[in-house]
Amino acid sequence: MARQSFSQPNNATKSLKARTSVVLLVVNGTLALLHFGLLAFWFETGNIYLYAILITGQIFYLWQTFTFIYTVWGIKDETDQPITKLFFPKVDVFIPVAGEPAGVVEETLKGALAMHYPRFKIFILNDGYVAGKENWREIEELALRYGVACITRKIPGGAKAGNINHALKETTSNFIAVFDADHVPHVDFLKVTMPYFADWKVGFVQTPQYYKNHKQNLVTGAAWEQQELFFGAICRGKNRQNSAIMCGTNMVLRRTAIEEIGGMVINNVAEDVVTGMLIHEHGWKSVYIPKVLAEGLAPQDFLSYYNQQLRWARGSIELLFKRNPLLQKGLTLAQKIQYLASATFYFSGVAFLLSALIPIFYFYTGLVPFVISTVSLAIIFIPYIFLTLYNLQNASNFSYTFRALAFSLSSWSIHVQALLEYLFKKRGGFVITSKTQIYGNFLYLVVPHMAYIALVVIGIGVGILREGISASFITNTAWAFIYIALFTPFIKAAAPEHVSLPVAEIPREESIELSPQPQKEHIL
Amino acid sequence: MNNQQRPSFEQDAMPIGEILLLLILFVAGLSFFLFSQQGLRLDEAQSLWQAYHSPLKILQIVSEDVHVPLYHLILHYWQILMGEGLEQARMLSLIFFALGIPALFLLGRSAYNSSVGLYAAILFAVSPFMNWFGNEIRMYTLLTLLAILSHYFFLKILRNQTGWLVWTGYFFVSLFGIFTHYLYFLLLCSQWAFAFFQRKQISFAAIRNFFIVSLLLGIVFSPWIFYIVMNESSPNAVPHLASPTSIDLLNAFSQFLFGFQTTHFNTIILSLWPMTTLFGFLAIQKNRKISLEATYFLVTLFVPVLLLFLVSITLQPAFLSRYLIFTVPSLYLLISWLFFVYPSKIATFLQITLIALMIGSLLFEVTNARNPEREDYKTVSAYLLQNAAPQDIIILSAPFTIYPILYYYDGPTQIATLPIWDRYQRGPIPPFDESALPDQVRQLGDHHQKAWLLLSYDQGYKEKIKMYFDTRFERLETRQFSPGLTLSVYRLRYDTPDLNL
Repeated sequence: MARQSFSQPNNATKSLKARTSVVLLVVNGTLALLHFGLLAFWFETGNIYLYAILITGQIFYLWQTFTFIYTVWGIKDETDQPITKLFFPKVDVFIPVAGEPAGVVEETLKGALAMHYPRFKIFILNDGYVAGKENWREIEELALRYGVACITRKIPGGAKAGNINHALKETTSNFIAVFDADHVPHVDFLKVTMPYFADWKVGFVQTPQYYKNHKQNLVTGAAWEQQELFFGAICRGKNRQNSAIMCGTNMVLRRTAIEEIGGMVINNVAEDVVTGMLIHEHGWKSVYIPKVLAEGLAPQDFLSYYNQQLRWARGSIELLFKRNPLLQKGLTLAQKIQYLASATFYFSGVAFLLSALIPIFYFYTGLVPFVISTVSLAIIFIPYIFLTLYNLQNASNFSYTFRALAFSLSSWSIHVQALLEYLFKKRGGFVITSKTQIYGNFLYLVVPHMAYIALVVIGIGVGILREGISASFITNTAWAFIYIALFTPFIKAAAPEHVSLPVAEIPREESIELSPQPQKEHIL
Repeated sequence: MNNQQRPSFEQDAMPIGEILLLLILFVAGLSFFLFSQQGLRLDEAQSLWQAYHSPLKILQIVSEDVHVPLYHLILHYWQILMGEGLEQARMLSLIFFALGIPALFLLGRSAYNSSVGLYAAILFAVSPFMNWFGNEIRMYTLLTLLAILSHYFFLKILRNQTGWLVWTGYFFVSLFGIFTHYLYFLLLCSQWAFAFFQRKQISFAAIRNFFIVSLLLGIVFSPWIFYIVMNESSPNAVPHLASPTSIDLLNAFSQFLFGFQTTHFNTIILSLWPMTTLFGFLAIQKNRKISLEATYFLVTLFVPVLLLFLVSITLQPAFLSRYLIFTVPSLYLLISWLFFVYPSKIATFLQITLIALMIGSLLFEVTNARNPEREDYKTVSAYLLQNAAPQDIIILSAPFTIYPILYYYDGPTQIATLPIWDRYQRGPIPPFDESALPDQVRQLGDHHQKAWLLLSYDQGYKEKIKMYFDTRFERLETRQFSPGLTLSVYRLRYDTPDLNL
């Protein structure tokens, strides 16, 4: 398997900038309402089922638009508050490992050791043994070589969260910094994050999950560009409402806070987000620092990206159904809205699919949701969509891209899969994102998209035969073409690259089951 | 915007001068070989008629019309200099159009870079919309040229590259602009609004100078307003148009790009509107901020269009794509900039596709007999000359269509209008009164054998006149010469043998 070599971390702190224009957000919200109002109440309805489908999708988009506006309202591209207090308590640094290549872990370890901070101790939380990874001894040797502690679990359970919980029992510091095996901290990580804990109400501090390999290929690029919007504008906005999302890495926890909620949550695929929500429920504050203080690896291939997105989608859907933020008593209204907005993001795939199906229905049946000249709709829709795109770009400091948008919208199949898996109670696994690039043909993951294209191509023929080149036909064809254009980068990313491994060598499953299996615990 | 991403034409040592010259030759050739075949249109006939008079009379006539007099005065002296033929008069518009090509290039180069400027100039040269008005005896290409120059000076002011030359240029261009078309004020409004919102970026001196320029323009324009009021002609200074719809709004943009096409073609173009969403999606590129210049062109494109649309649906219908021709340079520059932002392969594909579509539309516009803007008064006049007898009468409606007919028709048959209008009498065209119609028809038809009823430019009563004639007289013949231009022949009397049909 090809190893990717990366340059040493650039320790010059990069801030994820974000800004918004209140005027443009107000206009955007107004246009969104106007657009919805026209669709829902003004235009004469056509087929009632298609109308219902379209309106359902539009209600969801309205929710997304307004929660986005609510989140980013008034954020400025300001620099963070200067740190005035010197606060250097002892910190335990956790590096959970579950089979990642030793070379990757070593980079992280070297970064952690280089941190400029007076008192900290590093622990490698080695889950390689319980995960059945061959290199678990290699990790122990690595720890020995660098003179850091290594806690190797022998009794599995709870995946990464279980690993951290296990280590919490073995350590004593009041503060715990967590870095995934591939996330190399900058030298100033602790120096920047720890002073926030001078406020005794702060339960955790989160920093961005930066992908240093974002220029590697289409997948890493799109993955980071999506992250940049999230860790830029959205997380800044959430932070203003004391609703920072815990991401499981590049963070510092207060032991009291994590112990108060009984440790990291282990019964959810997105254990970090739920843990953060529980900490908020218990009245703790959170801080999000929009500075890149650690550098990690993006999923480097389509399979890894797909699995990562599926895990996040599955976790969010579980959060929604099992721990609905609206029903959590300890959360403020703002926190409830923020957690709900994050969790419902993964329903956007369903809404998108519903919209994308409308041209297909039209091609094959001639049915339309509205009996209108769609040109009337264009007058509102065009400024609405352009302003939305501009606000999105502006909020992300012009870091968002077409491919990020394409990946985000094309992930509808992942979102739908996650929802179906949850509804049909298929067990979800904590699939660790691969730290090396997996080569292969992943077109099987985009079969729904290719099927859509096939349906459009045939549908166009059916449509022409039925009614010729009518205005409705052209408009629906244009919409279908847009959807196909959005799917194209996604399909391209799934297609095999020039270098490929035999299928047998492609690790399809790197899953640790969530259900605990009692085994004898062993700590080195 | 990062202009280093793609090589500009300077770096490639492209022969820009030669390309611009070729573009000018292209529009000239097109004019000579294709547009020159077209007959005089109503608006052109009106321009010629107005410019035929003395300068003082021109002021009076134009003050009673919906326009301002600069173009007519220029045309007046141009005709003295070059002669009174149709071709000579059209050449004036063509010159303004041709000058607009290098001017737009310079503006694009100044705002972005040579690549954007050149592509915008190409769009301008192959534009069916611009070519149409580049061959029409109206003020629209002058208006466009002034708008381009105004953008040029305004951007220099925005960048604080000011000096007396820039301010003088801006003042005089604005002055000529407001005396070329009333709606030039919309451009000034959008510029001043933009300057207001960008006030932090421009110096206090620039804001002060804007104020002075505005004041001076107001002072210089006020005598004209005073003159109109004194002449009591202000009620005529508004066009008689229907209230626009959302389709008209989008149609304006379609015309800016693809010119005047048939309803079917327009339907296809307008139905493709979702594609604009894709163009928006593709523009989402890393670190590609909307530059100050792009924002400016967005404002100067959409503010005038939307303002006119809003005024037209709320106060007074005045929405015509030609009135907004001064927004076309902004549109073409925005498209050129947008393509420049795209990844190069997509950009090249779209650039070529758009040019091909525009050239195709241009050829279709010129050659298509069903072009809705086509007004074949030339052929209909020839037909009347050949077929109408001295004992007949030619009745025209709307009344102002008498201008192009009189330009071509020099036969013996009496010409009248419905409603009856004596154009030598001062004042507006009398309004249509349905109750007065029988008397007017009787008055016109009493001593004539046949009525040659030519209906065009529906002012809301075309159908009523046609119905009146259809129900009272025997219709002998109906011919359509171009869309909306219909000639019907009615027998008025039976006591004289018909020798003509």
